[in-house]
Amino acid sequence: MTSRRPTFSSEILSPTRALVDGREIILAGTNNYLGLTFSEAVKSAAIDAIARQGTATTGSRLANGTFREHIDLEEDLKTFFRAKSAVVFTTGYQANLAAISTLAGRGDHLLIDADSHACIYDGCRLSEAETIRFRHNSPEDLAKRLARLPDEGARLVVVEGLYSMLGDVAPLDEFVAVAHEHGAYLYVDEAHSVGCYGDRGRGLAEELGVLDKIDFLSGTFSKSFASIGGFCVSRHPGLDLMRLVSRPYLFTASGSPSNVAAARAAMGEMMNGPDLSRELMERAHQLHAGLTGAGFTPASPPGPIIAIPRPDELTAVREWNRLLEAGIYVNLAVPPATPHAKSLLRLSVSAAHSEDEINTIISAFRELT
Amino acid sequence: MASGTDQKAIFEDVARVLSTHSHTQAPIRPETRIGADLEIDSVEIFDIVMELEDLYNISLPVEAASDIDTVQDLVSKIGQLANVR
Ligand SMILES: Cc1ncc(COP(=O)(O)O)c(C=O)c1O
Repeated sequence: MTSRRPTFSSEILSPTRALVDGREIILAGTNNYLGLTFSEAVKSAAIDAIARQGTATTGSRLANGTFREHIDLEEDLKTFFRAKSAVVFTTGYQANLAAISTLAGRGDHLLIDADSHACIYDGCRLSEAETIRFRHNSPEDLAKRLARLPDEGARLVVVEGLYSMLGDVAPLDEFVAVAHEHGAYLYVDEAHSVGCYGDRGRGLAEELGVLDKIDFLSGTFSKSFASIGGFCVSRHPGLDLMRLVSRPYLFTASGSPSNVAAARAAMGEMMNGPDLSRELMERAHQLHAGLTGAGFTPASPPGPIIAIPRPDELTAVREWNRLLEAGIYVNLAVPPATPHAKSLLRLSVSAAHSEDEINTIISAFRELT
Repeated sequence: MASGTDQKAIFEDVARVLSTHSHTQAPIRPETRIGADLEIDSVEIFDIVMELEDLYNISLPVEAASDIDTVQDLVSKIGQLANVR
């Protein structure tokens, strides 16, 4: 079998379907956890925003690029996350870049999980603070490293909620305890976990009962929120200072009216529509059980991201191609983008997947063995 | 361990840890380049650094780790952080 180079482009049909080379396939690697990109409420909010406010803001948040709706979105986020302050950014990448680099400066320390996303590493690079890595998901290792630090300077611990490659979740309750015991602030990137965990998708911190203790929570509108953009919220009132000094906030144009309207409408659906996070988790359990039954060993317990480690890169590429030929798109993740140099077939589940679609995905995996 | 340790003792610890990760037969000397000669990639070097951090009870900042090229660079950095001459 020839192995097609793993690039992929498609003509999208629905949250779970696309045409590739004229053939309809099932999408199982989109991060479209709630399937809201085709929600009537979200689409009409975006269309209406374009009709009323045009296609772009053509400016920075600090200049002409703050429309009333950007501020309304920040107010919605404060309500959703029970926060004191909220700032909206043009992407989630920029939210982390901006917040991490401004919260910790020269003489401070950033302590980051070793498996952090690239934008957390980039935020640290942009900051003048010293960056120290601790072992992935290990509050014990974090405690050891916090204890070694000098007394001077602030300490900011940065972790994620749901890790995007292996689909494992952070023990946020333990991280809160360790960080605060050592006089550190805790920053949690919930890019993947908002929408999936917690009451009405408020995230993993909410699910674990520690939302009110998280000092800074960041996220993206590019996954469950069915849009583009990012945010940082805080239980502390001072976040607004960032608007004056943070380069990734200042030196870029703000999110377009349709992006902002879609994110607000998606949050409205999360709060008041059918409980999509519950539907998502039901499908996740179905897929996890099916793949396990087919002889595969997912890297983590059932959740919206199901990663299947493969023995080597060549096997992963070959299987990715065979799945695509069978009409299933999954993500191919190979080093160096993956932790511990693993090669993975990565699936993400959507509340929009039907039971039948999940069964079709499982059958295609069964055919691989 | 850290107290009363000199550069030579650190070199021995570093060489022992590196030898378990090396992908080549190249001898491990102070001037040996960790990436080019031992073919240890940037992901593995982080694991190695964590092992050495535990051994010396230190934390090596990410910014400093990216400056390390040779075995001696790593030995010197550990020496500085463990406050030994
Ligand atoms: C953990 C994490 N943080 C942040 C981001 C960035 O989000 P955005 O797509 O909005 O830039 C991503 C997206 O890939 C992510 O996986």
